[in-house]
Amino acid sequence: MTLTFWENYGTQLSLLNAAKNLIAAYEKLHPNITINMVNKPANNYFSLLQASAVSHTGPDLAVMWTGLYLPPYADIMANLRPYIKQPTWASIEGLQWGAKDFSASGPILAMPVDAQFYMGFYNKKDFAKAGISAVPTDWSQMFADCAKLKKIGVTPLVYGNASGAYSGEFNPWYDFSYMMIGALPPSQWQDLYSGKIPWTSPVVASQVSEWHQLFVKGCVNSDALTDTNNIGQFVSGKAAMVTADGSWDVGQYTQQMGSNVGAFVPPWSAKPQHGVVYFPGDAISVLQESPYKAQAAAFLAFMDSPAGAVQIAKAGLILDIAHFMSTNPINQQMLDFVQKQHFTMYPMLDNVTQPDIVNVGYQVLPAALVGQTSVSSALGSLAAKHNELPAGQRSTYAAYFSTP
Amino acid sequence: MSRRQVRTAPAGSAAAGWVLSLPALVAVAALLVVPIGQAVYYSMTDWNGITSTWVGPSAYTTLFSDPTFLRVLENNGLLLLAVPVVIGVPLGIAFLLHEQIWGWKFFRSAVFLPTAISWVVIGLIAVRFYALHGILNSLLAHVGLGFVKTNMLGSTHQALAAIGITLVWSQLGSNTIIFITGMAALDPALAEAARVDGAHGPRIYWSIIMPQMMRFIQFAFIITVLTAFTAIFSLIFVMTGGGPNFGSTTLDFCVYQQAFGQSAFGTGALLGVLLFVLVGAVSVIQVRLLRSKV
Repeated sequence: MTLTFWENYGTQLSLLNAAKNLIAAYEKLHPNITINMVNKPANNYFSLLQASAVSHTGPDLAVMWTGLYLPPYADIMANLRPYIKQPTWASIEGLQWGAKDFSASGPILAMPVDAQFYMGFYNKKDFAKAGISAVPTDWSQMFADCAKLKKIGVTPLVYGNASGAYSGEFNPWYDFSYMMIGALPPSQWQDLYSGKIPWTSPVVASQVSEWHQLFVKGCVNSDALTDTNNIGQFVSGKAAMVTADGSWDVGQYTQQMGSNVGAFVPPWSAKPQHGVVYFPGDAISVLQESPYKAQAAAFLAFMDSPAGAVQIAKAGLILDIAHFMSTNPINQQMLDFVQKQHFTMYPMLDNVTQPDIVNVGYQVLPAALVGQTSVSSALGSLAAKHNELPAGQRSTYAAYFSTP
Repeated sequence: MSRRQVRTAPAGSAAAGWVLSLPALVAVAALLVVPIGQAVYYSMTDWNGITSTWVGPSAYTTLFSDPTFLRVLENNGLLLLAVPVVIGVPLGIAFLLHEQIWGWKFFRSAVFLPTAISWVVIGLIAVRFYALHGILNSLLAHVGLGFVKTNMLGSTHQALAAIGITLVWSQLGSNTIIFITGMAALDPALAEAARVDGAHGPRIYWSIIMPQMMRFIQFAFIITVLTAFTAIFSLIFVMTGGGPNFGSTTLDFCVYQQAFGQSAFGTGALLGVLLFVLVGAVSVIQVRLLRSKV
């Protein structure tokens, strides 16, 4: 029997390796099952998945993103609960992110693969050369460090469209998440969803204005929206920091930069940043129309078994289980933000924001960064889109923010 | 039989005509009428590709009150400005090739080259061409214009222009071939007679060749409008993703974004219907404008 598995990992080598490890181990245990992993382009992955489901040519298993990325595809995904026994569910942290209506006790539509930190990385040598002894933790420190890095001829922070799964376009939601972490506690992120705190409110506007200042003051590359080699510039030391990234790239950076790379929390805050994006963003679903739902779900059960966890950890990912300790020093550094420094855990903002608004954000926020549009106009577009949404999409969802 | 007398087919022949036409009518209905009807129906629903709920004509009024949609319409309008260039430049090139200037065989192949390249490849090349550290700025620097540093794809106001220029380049080959074919079919006696009457280059071009070329121009115009409105999705997808700030989002790109990006197939169908109406309207206007000159 052959199961087809679609993934959109692209250059995210750790996730790709984890999937390969899992498949190899599973096929060894079950010689009668072959899992055919098919890579699909990241930037239109969900379009292809939706089209394949509508035309009844979809795969058996497919990578899904969690949070509010799930509901538009809820109709094409199978509920995993009837196929997987209870003990597996109990071991998974953040299960609600893959659950229908974000209720961990309800139908499960996607099984989380790993726990992910959405994180910034910095080049230690560049920092040392510029005389910077500690990573910046707020806007003022960032601007001060920016001046020092510019003095030694290094681009302080490099943006572009070569990182993350959306390889073809600049993704502003990484930084916007940290801007809102710097501005609001998790409970108030619900107010952004409901509209109680409008997108045009001063607390949001001041953060985006500071972000725009990064561009104005030359702290970021002038081709921030179109640079296709931003990761290359960071790895080579021509740029000192990247922020639109995460734990899934740790393996790649460690391999290319050795001990010269460190993780830091994007300091987009007026006071020292004390929150971190840490949640299972990547998951795998079984498609409703698959004739092999039970077999496909069995693979997912294996993924979250101790034998599967070994394969995921081997690829350098962080397991979505409580009190996990990593042998990779950068992974452990990130885990320490939560385990030792007790940073507040947040999801990514786009995982808890209405998809229509996320889509508008992809257009207007990058333009606000580089001054192609004003901050008030960009945020006005988000607010206008929010006003157009049906009432059902403007309620509050407390379940989003329950602690994983 | 006088000219006023009309021959009418016997009843049996008319029936046979209908029967013989039936397969074609069924094919047209199945492949055109039904899908268009379905699109119109679904445009008034909230449809995620699997299940749909009736919304009604208010879907249209809601869309027209969306400033983003108006921006998208404006972009389509601006893209129309590229059409005369996509017609005019190939027409000039075709005339030069028709006159068999030096190296015309080589240039004929060279001009046709973009037609053989896929939109995605053209888009990828264009991204590198327009990049801040790309070919365009490098060329400008080499000719002493380094101070004119552009980043067109990163600019809200220039991204669409970059796509328009790429469209012109990509359409150069196919339109040139259409015009060369048209010029080869012209009656040379007319131009010869004009020369005998003392007419020269530009005069012959405007008064003899152009009127005869009008049906080819009309054809190229419709093809180009169709291309500009419905075929450059992949160019936009690769080059700008519709941004920044919706600066390069067009209706066909919007159809994709809504239908497949957000699973809003109802809105996608609505935009598709509007695109259909828009292309139809532009084509009708163009045919009416040029009809008297053909």
